Amino acid sequence: MICIDNSEWMRNGDYAPSRFQAQADAVNLICGAKTQSNPENTVGVLTMAGKGVRVLVTPTSDLGKILACMHGLEIGGEMNLAAGIQVAQLALKHRQNKKQQQRIIVFAGSPVTHDKKVLEMIGKKLKKNSVALDIVNFGEDDEGKKEKLEALLTAVNNNDTSHIVHVPAGPNALSDVLISTPIFTGDGEGGSGFAASAAAVAAVSMEEERARQEAAAKKAAEEASEQDVTMTERSSEGPSGADNKKNEIPDDDNTLLQQALAMSVDEPASTQDLQDTEISDAAAEDPELALALQLSVQDSTKDSSTEADMSKLLADQSFVSSILASLPGVDPNDPSVKEVLASMQNQSESQQKQDEDQAPEKKEGK
Amino acid sequence: MATAESASAIQRNQVDLLDFIDWSGVECLNQSSGHLLANALKQGYREDEGLNLESDADEQLLIYIPFTQVVKLHSIVVKGSEEEGPKTVKLFTNRQHMGFSNVNDFPPSDTVVLSPDNLKGKPVVVKYVKFQNVRSLTIFIEDNQSGSEITKVQKIALYGSTVETTDMKGLKKIEEH
Repeated sequence: MICIDNSEWMRNGDYAPSRFQAQADAVNLICGAKTQSNPENTVGVLTMAGKGVRVLVTPTSDLGKILACMHGLEIGGEMNLAAGIQVAQLALKHRQNKKQQQRIIVFAGSPVTHDKKVLEMIGKKLKKNSVALDIVNFGEDDEGKKEKLEALLTAVNNNDTSHIVHVPAGPNALSDVLISTPIFTGDGEGGSGFAASAAAVAAVSMEEERARQEAAAKKAAEEASEQDVTMTERSSEGPSGADNKKNEIPDDDNTLLQQALAMSVDEPASTQDLQDTEISDAAAEDPELALALQLSVQDSTKDSSTEADMSKLLADQSFVSSILASLPGVDPNDPSVKEVLASMQNQSESQQKQDEDQAPEKKEGK
Repeated sequence: MATAESASAIQRNQVDLLDFIDWSGVECLNQSSGHLLANALKQGYREDEGLNLESDADEQLLIYIPFTQVVKLHSIVVKGSEEEGPKTVKLFTNRQHMGFSNVNDFPPSDTVVLSPDNLKGKPVVVKYVKFQNVRSLTIFIEDNQSGSEITKVQKIALYGSTVETTDMKGLKKIEEH
């Protein structure tokens, strides 16, 4: 999780071309390196100043999305280091893959207003929860800032998994200085051979990326809408509850959507949010319940919303017959099952009113 | 009366669940780097009084132990020193990836307050009915006996029985016939 300092202090030009731009370049570089070094890595970004701490993107492996969110960032306000780190910790806590190691990379360009004690408490909490911290100390260098950040590092450091880098203003770009540090080389995770050569390649590609950033942003927007479309298709084939679920999720975070969909499709028993989801998924698992559901739909005793979902579900013949075939207790050749199937075929062709007409007939027939 | 029964029960049909621990999934939060969970859990290490599991940033420890098969937990042994040994221990079943922040969100399956006798090795019998279907055990050590900054645990042993009586290795042998 990367914490960016977008405070007023970043307007200064002592790092070429401006502190903020140097920082942005460094962030882009790091994101690229992390996502390339291991496809399972995810990176998220938040800003610490401005109106308040704001998460721009939650941990994702989609580099285009990360780069896109760096666009149009405004400089202003004061950096809140403590809040930034705490929000980053929270964002990491909610990562999808719990097996991933947690790390926060913080760019501290402004003066640090918090007490050393406060920072030490934060560091201890990070260490307790197994979160590593990389600190990039640049920009303002006031009294005690270095000392405070060093204290923070000592509190959080566990077996040298956390690092601090002090980058003074000068001719070298912030990114260049960072390339040779453990922040970049990922303390031996990527292998030592990775360090110099691949980092240089990454730097060159970053130059190219900067020229292509707008194209990447456009593509990310396209991809997002594309993925939404494919998801709509997928969800209409699967249990109807998935549709309701998707509508409930307001944000456009694809990973969250995929997770929700995967949950409703693969693990029907785990969610309890929607009644519809519960019913349709429970039906998939319990053969008796499935039969009861079909019977009750014929009887049209349910309320209209559930009925609409049910008919949508049952309308998909192949889906339902495959469910029935896979249900352990149900024999497709069983006469009662065949009757139900036949009645369902009638249903899918006719309106609900006709269902009501057929229902009494079916009842008598039984 | 209860203790005599439970002591013999341990010998009767409860086994040391050490063999059923899935070591690849064992995790411990807030352990100090020189004093890891293995010191308290693994065969041999746990008998060595000099090797302890120690907490790091503060006195709490969160230990996650998955099992290779479903087990029933009957009792646990937690050994430690009189001052720095654990005091309040909360047990959670079948919850993955708990953290210190959400450990108080769920009711524990059982809460144990260790007495000096327990710390010397006397087993604590747990609420057996709550531990009939255990796939994983999360042990939250909330505080220690004296309130010191570091909690030291010398040994953790789990006793119980398996749910399935099929021994997979035995199954293979039958197939060979």
